[in-house]
Amino acid sequence: MEETLRFEDIPGVEWVPSPRPFITIDASKCTGCGNCLRVCLAGVFRLREKKAEVASLERCMECASCLFVCESGAVDFGWPVGGTGYRSEWG
Amino acid sequence: MSAVDYDVIVVGAGFGGPVAAKRCAEAGLSTLILERASTPGQKVISSCTIPFYGFLFGPQWIRDGDPPIERPITGIRNFFVRDGKVYATDNSFRVPGPLANRLAIGYTVYCRPFCTWLAERAVEAGAELRTSVAAVDVIMESGAVKGVVTDGGEELRCRLLIDAEGVQNILARKAGIRKTYRPEAVELCLLYDFKMAKEDIDRICGYQIEYYWAMPEEKIIAPLGEGSAVYIFPYRESIHMTIGRFLKGEEGVPVLAKELDAYYRRFFQVDRWREMYAPRTELRARIWDTCPIYAGLYQDMRSMPTFGDGVLLIGDAAGLEAAAIADGVPSAWFSAEMAAETAIEALRAGDTGASFLSRYQRRLEEHPLIPALISDTHRRDLAWARWSGDEAEMRRRVNQGWGIRLMGHLALPVLRAVYREMRRDPRVLKNWLDMFNRYHRLYA
Repeated sequence: MEETLRFEDIPGVEWVPSPRPFITIDASKCTGCGNCLRVCLAGVFRLREKKAEVASLERCMECASCLFVCESGAVDFGWPVGGTGYRSEWG
Repeated sequence: MSAVDYDVIVVGAGFGGPVAAKRCAEAGLSTLILERASTPGQKVISSCTIPFYGFLFGPQWIRDGDPPIERPITGIRNFFVRDGKVYATDNSFRVPGPLANRLAIGYTVYCRPFCTWLAERAVEAGAELRTSVAAVDVIMESGAVKGVVTDGGEELRCRLLIDAEGVQNILARKAGIRKTYRPEAVELCLLYDFKMAKEDIDRICGYQIEYYWAMPEEKIIAPLGEGSAVYIFPYRESIHMTIGRFLKGEEGVPVLAKELDAYYRRFFQVDRWREMYAPRTELRARIWDTCPIYAGLYQDMRSMPTFGDGVLLIGDAAGLEAAAIADGVPSAWFSAEMAAETAIEALRAGDTGASFLSRYQRRLEEHPLIPALISDTHRRDLAWARWSGDEAEMRRRVNQGWGIRLMGHLALPVLRAVYREMRRDPRVLKNWLDMFNRYHRLYA
């Protein structure tokens, strides 16, 4: 039985955690501008020592907003492993 | 030359991918669809009202089939809000009374059942569908796309790739064809799905979409020009409600989690919501996604190629969302059919090079509707109202974009498409009328 996650504040969605991380940040490129934190509705990112890092991919809805707003090209956005990540019947 | 596994690989079983795959399979091409979700449509999010022109001028088999529609839409009701109250209404864009039970300007659908239905039709036509497989890279040889690499590390080779991957454009960027959409062109939409009894929806919304507009100080919506309205879309026994905001505006990159939640909180205090909807709705889902709805309005985004050696891009991956109506499905369908047609010709000619495939781009440019839809500035032009404080002018502009005067700029492209279809087959008129009747029965 696959593990699924649900969150009360995001009803109607379930997540199967991806066995591999699918968003990564290249610390050498990150300027610490915080754009990724500003646009993410899932709270994926946090700032530590003036660099963004991925805190948790658990609530990510794979919208790639972080990718679009990263001006330094530090965000690498890929897909969760097939069959994992979020899913919803109500889109 | 290496052996190929398939003539055509289509990446993505959203709205466009299955349409392209079905046509290729029917032409006798071995066709594989790769979908990263375990069920098609489970990763597609939209307040999906598919406009009538998608059904009329899109794939005949969708029009003449029985797709899972939710509710016919016969008009747009624009509400204007000040001090938490609706003070004016513009419902001038609607199907006139006697026809309102038959003709529709669009149909609401849930993405999961609809995309599943589309994918099933492609499989019936002979396409192979592999779900739970993410295509993570392209196989490149001498600058040409020769296939994809899956997340399991499998290399799948094809003679032609049709990329229906969506707004993220991962494969097209790896193939060196496109760059990331600029944040000013991408809207993040936060969508609420509410359960609501059918008789309540029939009485309160009926068959009309509701748009709520306000001046900036009302703070129920993103600054005008960006995201613009609060939208309510009636489904069969539920409603979708959407608030969106662009990832970058004149003030830079907004703190979206905070701002979108604040818009919702204020909107839930608006009298019409509080009195009519709040007591009769139950929140079922809170979901979000990005859509590149202004990709056609920025020259650098619009001029990115929609093809390359061995690859054709369709739908959101090609930046084809309608900039004012904010719908991507009709363009995904139109582009899917034109891409499949081009793929069939290319494989018959044994030439999948970029210069042969450039005819696809020409077809997009010559399409009667796509160029008009992706370059419609009505929504962005509302940015003007942010600084003016002229509420009457804002209402006039809403009437132009989403009221009766919408007919003025939509009519010509639609008539051009009607003319094109009628010239091909005059009997299509009867099929159109049959469609409206059949969909009406599907709903009833």
